[in-house]
Amino acid sequence: MVRLSDLHPVEAEHLAARALAMPATGPGEWVTPRPLDQATVAIVSTAGLHRRIDLPFTVGSLDYRIIPGDTQFDDLVLSHISANFDRSAFGQDPNIVFPIDRLREFASSGEIGGVARWHYSFMGAMPDPSQFEKAGEEIGRLMAEDGVDVAFLVPI
Amino acid sequence: MSEAVVPPRALWVPFPLGRPLGAVDDSEFQKNVMRTAFRLLETAVEPTIEDYEIQAPGEGFNENWSCPLNLTPESSGSLTERLLAEVALLRPWAIETRRQRGRTLFGASGAQEDQVDEMARAFASIAETSDVTSELVVDDVAWAFEMPLLLRHIADDLRTFYHEAVAAQPGDNAPDHDALNRWIFDETVLGEALLLVADGLTKASDSPMAQLVRGLLIPEGHYRGGSAFPQQTNFPINPET
Repeated sequence: MVRLSDLHPVEAEHLAARALAMPATGPGEWVTPRPLDQATVAIVSTAGLHRRIDLPFTVGSLDYRIIPGDTQFDDLVLSHISANFDRSAFGQDPNIVFPIDRLREFASSGEIGGVARWHYSFMGAMPDPSQFEKAGEEIGRLMAEDGVDVAFLVPI
Repeated sequence: MSEAVVPPRALWVPFPLGRPLGAVDDSEFQKNVMRTAFRLLETAVEPTIEDYEIQAPGEGFNENWSCPLNLTPESSGSLTERLLAEVALLRPWAIETRRQRGRTLFGASGAQEDQVDEMARAFASIAETSDVTSELVVDDVAWAFEMPLLLRHIADDLRTFYHEAVAAQPGDNAPDHDALNRWIFDETVLGEALLLVADGLTKASDSPMAQLVRGLLIPEGHYRGGSAFPQQTNFPINPET
């Protein structure tokens, strides 16, 4: 995600310090999924993305929101707390953050096996990602039940 | 950060924060980024971080963007009056963008699309009084957050309204994050209000949340007191929200 040299110096320094202080959490168990043209793919976003009817994210949120695969873009908003990322792109084309149309096109062309029925969203900006372990394992179980083979993580 | 997390397969992309797939309204560019990431499913045999070296088309196009509207604030009138006048000038264009897109990003604060005047009035009032911690009561608005965190979501909704207003105007491109913020902070009454609210948050020195909210309200580079983000932050954690 982004070159530090492209950020405001204060933000770059802040993120660099965060990265240095971030405790190591991996690697996890190595898994080789079925071939992509047979695989069902789900999106996992950290953009603080959710439907208007959902409870918004707040500072330090460790929980997640589900985004049904048939959600319309006009029903999605962002409640991510950072003031330092570009929301204008999502406003213009939500696929740049949540590429559900691209997955549908890949499924239609046979490049992937299918699109998951549910997708998931977190708010990022958490200094210690191990705090997400409980929620991460939970959505892992949910995705397994949904027949998902590949989780496509899209940070913001 | 990816190196600390050690994901099984990661594609590092050189795009600005908020644009993880690189280019808006360019499905082929977006799909090529995704294909490159998906290819790691076939090639990686151990945790791998691969670099994506292709720049997004149009990157940097906003360096010379300027708003075609003349929003020169009138020197007379209160901040509230001037902000409401500015919002009124932008409203037809914001409606036009919503009509073209069939959607809006406005509303994360809990306010409805037709409540931007109420929101602007409340925000300007807080800017004028520096009261950043009292409950904010506005008739018929069901805020989704408590103060002072509500302030950064009101600010975001107002920024969204301004962005949607300028996105519809004639010209080559809508402003990106940097161009939008340069315009807001250098040329608009909203920018003046944002900085006054930031001052109010700074004055609320007995509230750690107020200091944190200042960093969540003002993008880096636009706070007149240096870094908007407090130097010492005990980041709160809310397992269930």
